[in-house]
Amino acid sequence: MSLIQIVLTVFILLIAVYMYRRLRTTIIDLLLILVFAVVGVFFVIFPDTTTEIAHFAGVNRGADMIFYLAILFLLFLVIKLYARLRRLEQHFTEWVRKKSIEEMVKKED
Amino acid sequence: MEIAQDIFVIIPCFNEAAVIRQTVEAVHSEGYSVVVVDDASTDLTTQVLSGLPVYYIKHPINLGQGAAIQTGIDFAKEKGARFFVTFDADGQHEVKDIAQMIKVLIDKEVDIVFGSRFLPGAMTNITPSRNLLLNAGRYLNYFVSGILLSDAHNGIRVFNRRTAENIRIRENRMAHATEFQISVARNQLKYAECPVHIYYNAYSIKKGQRGLASIKILFEIILYKIFR
Repeated sequence: MSLIQIVLTVFILLIAVYMYRRLRTTIIDLLLILVFAVVGVFFVIFPDTTTEIAHFAGVNRGADMIFYLAILFLLFLVIKLYARLRRLEQHFTEWVRKKSIEEMVKKED
Repeated sequence: MEIAQDIFVIIPCFNEAAVIRQTVEAVHSEGYSVVVVDDASTDLTTQVLSGLPVYYIKHPINLGQGAAIQTGIDFAKEKGARFFVTFDADGQHEVKDIAQMIKVLIDKEVDIVFGSRFLPGAMTNITPSRNLLLNAGRYLNYFVSGILLSDAHNGIRVFNRRTAENIRIRENRMAHATEFQISVARNQLKYAECPVHIYYNAYSIKKGQRGLASIKILFEIILYKIFR
């Protein structure tokens, strides 16, 4: 096992443990975390398997395929986060608005 | 003529202490109900306005002009307003135009009247570069809303209750002018334009938006379209 494989494996396991400790809600969450960790570690230890899948998908190297997928996934996350930020801002605005108007009406009495 | 008190003039402001009292007094002298929405000014706006018979609402934190206008609309709706007016604080609008625009609203039986500085009869001392920018804005607004106005970003508008109940400004910052147009199109509200006067003075130019702000607005509009 090369150094990078050890580093990546340790990181994946640490993230899995961290996620489990933070979420620790349903059995589904646990299963998902477990599946992701196992798949991740598997690909780190046997990187050639990703190349086979990549060839099947029409990409030359496994690492390239992971790279493409990671970009798509990150883009998806950014959009989700932005949408959430907007929602948050709207809720916040509504709250501030309501308070300001209430304040005004109180002063008027 | 309609009862002036039923006409609520919403004046959003942010750090306009130097001119706000003059603007508010001019509007109030016509008998209109005035709603000043102070978007968390850090200058003397609150003190300058004290003693004036106007509704004064202050946001505890700065949200943007679009948010301030929506706050004013919500408040005026609660107060039973029949007509709603948006009016800039910096003194570039002419108070007499309000009555003219309300007349157009009633005579033409429309739901909203947009002020325009480019129609015949309007008066403005606009610079050529700003003129060009506003023209680009017109077509952008047309592209996203399907409504082509002669003036893209004019702070003065008059609308009725139906419009107030159908419009909800979600763009807190400057893209609200475009959002007005989109909402009008979406709710199939009837609209008209009315020539108005715009006076650019040293103060309003200094305080007003710079050309670069238009790029920010452009991005806000694109994001608005994607994340509706």
